[in-house]
Amino acid sequence: MSDGKRRLFSQVELGDELPDLHPDVSMPVVYRFAHDAAYMPAARFIDHEGARKEGLPAAIVPGIMSQGLLASLVHRWCPEANILRIDTIFRAPVLVDSDPVCRGVVTATDDESRTVEIDLTIVNESNETRVVGTAHVALPVD
Amino acid sequence: MDVEKLKEDWVGLEFDVVEFEMSGEEMVAWAETCGETAPRFTDPGDPDFQAPATFTAKFLGRRAFPKGFPQIGRGPGFDAGKSVEIHAPVRPGDVLTARSHIADIYPKTGRSGPMLFIVHRMIFENQNGDRVSVVDWRRVLQPEEKLS
Repeated sequence: MSDGKRRLFSQVELGDELPDLHPDVSMPVVYRFAHDAAYMPAARFIDHEGARKEGLPAAIVPGIMSQGLLASLVHRWCPEANILRIDTIFRAPVLVDSDPVCRGVVTATDDESRTVEIDLTIVNESNETRVVGTAHVALPVD
Repeated sequence: MDVEKLKEDWVGLEFDVVEFEMSGEEMVAWAETCGETAPRFTDPGDPDFQAPATFTAKFLGRRAFPKGFPQIGRGPGFDAGKSVEIHAPVRPGDVLTARSHIADIYPKTGRSGPMLFIVHRMIFENQNGDRVSVVDWRRVLQPEEKLS
């Protein structure tokens, strides 16, 4: 969660960890994302039984929603941050109605451009990595 | 399968152009379901209201591959990842034009055998001709023949 304070580039150091985000990936939320935000109402996203018929263990969170959760992690850490690039690799499904955790750590800072690189991950309840990514982010300077 | 020949034939070729009108309601739904809390993403009354950073990743063109692109392996493959570059804010009512081309083709070998990555790039410009985002969609195909 955001601590409610402004976060400036000068306050950020290599290795800083973003506060964990425990996103809500319950069926009603994923259903709303699939229907109202992304228009991708495929059974594998919004119906556990339908997903099982496709060979999945349960309904899965759309990859673009996982990416959106990671963008949200960055903005909660620094509400004024501007994400310039975010790249995500969908290693394994994030399941609907599970309890994943989004994590981030600052891996590089650039004094000239006032930007940082953040490594991003989503892990499941067993701490297994499901999504990995990086973000290049511009932070406020004053 | 000759990967270099595939690249020569297909990389860089624009094969689809589509227009999309941006909806503020969809932006709010995206922001709220993804856990955004900043008013610039959640409140249409905010003077800086805009689409969440990765919003354009949801738009698909009319086709995933150029017409005539060879069928590789069985089925449509799977989505291995997305990269989004954000160049400028997207606002409600904007009309974006998305142009698609194959940006790269490269092989990898996984536990289940050879894989071919196809990078489908969509470049989005707004009604003023300003580039607002670039989305790379990495699709993995599993060829049944050896890659060279």
